[in-house]
Amino acid sequence: MTRLSPRTYDRRVLIAMSIYVVLMICVWPLARNAANIPLKLVYALTPVVPLLYTVWLMARRILGSDELEQRTHLIGIGVGAAVTSVFSIVTGFLAAAKVFDLETTSIFLIWIFPLLMLSYGIGRALAARRYGLGACDDDSDGMPSYIRFMYASGIFCVVAAIAYFYSGDERITSFALGMASSLVTGAVFFGVRRWLRRRKAQ
Amino acid sequence: MNNHLRELREQRGWSQGDLAERLDVSRQTVNAIETSKYDPSLPLAFRIAKLFRQQIEQIFEP
Repeated sequence: MTRLSPRTYDRRVLIAMSIYVVLMICVWPLARNAANIPLKLVYALTPVVPLLYTVWLMARRILGSDELEQRTHLIGIGVGAAVTSVFSIVTGFLAAAKVFDLETTSIFLIWIFPLLMLSYGIGRALAARRYGLGACDDDSDGMPSYIRFMYASGIFCVVAAIAYFYSGDERITSFALGMASSLVTGAVFFGVRRWLRRRKAQ
Repeated sequence: MNNHLRELREQRGWSQGDLAERLDVSRQTVNAIETSKYDPSLPLAFRIAKLFRQQIEQIFEP
């Protein structure tokens, strides 16, 4: 399979996940008040499309990677599977004991995929660091981390603006703004680290 | 495991990227092998040996 360059992979995943976030906040809530079942299905499942594309991109990247990269992916997937499994079973036990209602449980279920992606990314970054690969940081050939974080922050700002001006939903607006500010903090951290490393290298 | 990959590469005037392309691996993997942070699999070690026309044990030392 053709090797996907880190820059191309980063760009495509960012675009897909941006579309996912926008769909989750702008389209998915429409499912509750949809007039009929087919429309409800369309609204509820539309965000799955960019997720499937992301999964396909990941599969393509892993299949096209070399043996060391495959090892780091395997470690990342192992960490992701462990974290997600524990999260799922704890949530399942609590839901079965009726600590949460059905709606809260469904919200937890929605967070399983993002949690898997996050823990996979952290696991892979740690494994890559052990081999001196510098995945997810500025030594890699992909997009610099501070740009990645700034881009994601921009997406959440757009979502906050849409939620504030069109739907007036304060809960979504505050959530999106909180995410945006956290991501800006991350961008500043990675930006300063990059600048310090470059200054040290000179 | 120590190895002489960097010397062999530099003797030929190749960059890590050039060697990575010849071995069909990433530049970072070449760097990890050169710095002894990663020991390559047997098939990759054979590819390296074949590329430099040497025995595996001449390139890699336990």
